Amino acid sequence: MTLAIVLVIAAILSLVFILRITVSRSLQVSGDFKLAGQIQPIDVEAFRNLVDLEEDNYLRRRLPPRQFRIVRRARLRATAAYVQAAGHNAALLVRIGTTALEVGDEQIAEAAQRLVHDAVLLRRNAAYAILRIYVARALPTWNLTASPVLNSYERITGSAMLLGRLQNPAAPVRIAATY
Amino acid sequence: MLQAHSILWHYLWVAPNVLLFVLAIFAWRRGLHKQFPVFFAFAIVGSIAQLSVYTADVIPSVPAEVFWRVFWAGLLIEALLKFSLIGEIFAHVFGPYPSLVRLGRFLIRGVGVALVLSATMAAAYAPKDSPYWIIAGAHILEQTIYLIECGLLLFIFLFSAYFRLSSSRPIFGIALGLSISACVHLATWAVMANSGLHASQRSSIDFLNMATYHACVLIWFYYLLVPPKFATKSAVPIPEHNLEIWNRELERFLQP
Repeated sequence: MTLAIVLVIAAILSLVFILRITVSRSLQVSGDFKLAGQIQPIDVEAFRNLVDLEEDNYLRRRLPPRQFRIVRRARLRATAAYVQAAGHNAALLVRIGTTALEVGDEQIAEAAQRLVHDAVLLRRNAAYAILRIYVARALPTWNLTASPVLNSYERITGSAMLLGRLQNPAAPVRIAATY
Repeated sequence: MLQAHSILWHYLWVAPNVLLFVLAIFAWRRGLHKQFPVFFAFAIVGSIAQLSVYTADVIPSVPAEVFWRVFWAGLLIEALLKFSLIGEIFAHVFGPYPSLVRLGRFLIRGVGVALVLSATMAAAYAPKDSPYWIIAGAHILEQTIYLIECGLLLFIFLFSAYFRLSSSRPIFGIALGLSISACVHLATWAVMANSGLHASQRSSIDFLNMATYHACVLIWFYYLLVPPKFATKSAVPIPEHNLEIWNRELERFLQP
């Protein structure tokens, strides 16, 4: 009987998750126009500085080991926040790009396709990076490279700018805090 | 009303399968069988298999053992088709994103192995609910199939939701119907296989299963055949971040 209860609970939870995703999918359609306002600005330079190995090595040389670990953990926390913001923006851009795909214009659709591809890649890299950051926080002396996220984010910014220009040639478009 | 061989019972067993067969014909006429070949095969073969089991049940001359053999055959064919259909859903959802396909395949294989192990353990610990292995085995096999099916579909939903992927309307409908059916059937077969229920209680659970399947067939009808409501689509503008805003942000950042 215990097994039956466990399986029934698992089935109910699965059904709830699936129905929730279904409902949120149908709500997405009406809320797509509010998406752009939810994009969090990201300072790419600051992020680059946080993940710079040279900077890490410099701190390692200059600081006593205990203090270095404290500083390193703090930097990793900040890096995680940046990566999470990048991942969040990527998710929003997937939706913006997907909506733009449905517009008839071929040029816009092509730019949207590239944006969606880059945003999905960034979301995947952000998930990997977060895992690596958590490992690095547990082992602060381990060298961490989050450069795939940075490269993806720079590329995605370019894609979004291209799409934005195609949709509205008169308006300057930017999703990162720095070029 | 909720008795085996009542009018409602006959309707709930026959109608969804006839509807599914009709859906396959409509899908063929609209050329959807080229886009979703496995779903098309599932609709044709699944409905015929279920109608064969029904026929075996209602013809008095068919002995119980033959009925259960037909039931087993139908169950195995349907299981094969359902797992192929999950593969088709996966290909449609993640296929357009090359960067996700490899990761998705790796993860779904892992999830699949974990689900097979869990289902095997659940089957091993399930008590025999009938002295006849052909009946008890069928119930446990149902539980095993639905456990794996439910887990794989949940994985596809969660993985695509994480990446905010939007699949096409028909494939979303197919996945939704299959998932609802899998979740409800998992719960009901788990109860059937693991607790000694009376005939009347089993009958009520049968009704729940059949009604759910009927609803799922209607969901497939809706998503495959009813055209979406076309709103005037205009592209969502990419946010405009002008210098004024950025300067303000930078000033705030620079002030202690």
